[in-house]
Amino acid sequence: MPENTSYMVAAYVITAAILVGYAVLLYRRTLKP
Amino acid sequence: MRLLKTARWITVLGLALLAAVYVRALAFTPVERVQGAAQKIFYLHVPAAIWTEAGMVLVGVASIFFLFLKDPRLDRFAEASAEVGMMFGTIVLTTGPIWGKPIWGTWWTWDARLTLTLLLFLMYVGYLLLRGAVTDPGLRARYAAVLGISGMCLVPFVHLSVYMFRTLHPQPIVLKPSAPSLPGDMLATLLFSFVVFTILYVGFVTQRYALALLREQADQHA
Repeated sequence: MPENTSYMVAAYVITAAILVGYAVLLYRRTLKP
Repeated sequence: MRLLKTARWITVLGLALLAAVYVRALAFTPVERVQGAAQKIFYLHVPAAIWTEAGMVLVGVASIFFLFLKDPRLDRFAEASAEVGMMFGTIVLTTGPIWGKPIWGTWWTWDARLTLTLLLFLMYVGYLLLRGAVTDPGLRARYAAVLGISGMCLVPFVHLSVYMFRTLHPQPIVLKPSAPSLPGDMLATLLFSFVVFTILYVGFVTQRYALALLREQADQHA
């Protein structure tokens, strides 16, 4: 396994967290009265 | 509201396809020989960077038309595009240093492309802060439009900085005058990822636009 795999995993996890997090944030904002 | 529902479905589709991008990039795209696994960060970093730049161009274009037409839909779209563009900018400014550490040996360097990208991100932050600080809707839209146009003027410098200055950042390998210099498998993954980021941009901006519209309607009834 190449030694910089951990950097790739970190980038993929952070990107998913930002995109899913923003989607959830927008969804919750539309629920507010 | 039908627009909001449609936007939610577009976002859900985009997120589902993002999972497919992950599978394709991680399991079905070859590992680059020199950079190793870290090169795969490119499949997320590049589409996010394109939409960070394109998002600000669209803010600027909508702002120019707003100043002439005074159509509130243009102002609403500019606001939505700025928020989503800033979110994509956050991805660019986190995945970039994560790639830079194993490849360059440093998280950050004050190179022209990196510095100008940070400046573009700060323009987004300033634009959204300005919108939050001005309470009068007419003034807010006008001030924000001027800042949005200024942000748009920064984008060509960000994109062409790799040609204009001596920089560590790799040269464009797809958005350049000659043919893309990328093997077929890698190019297909990149294009797939770009399409998915485009769907996400459309879904998020439409949702944000619908949200702004709902708030305006609520304010008018209050």
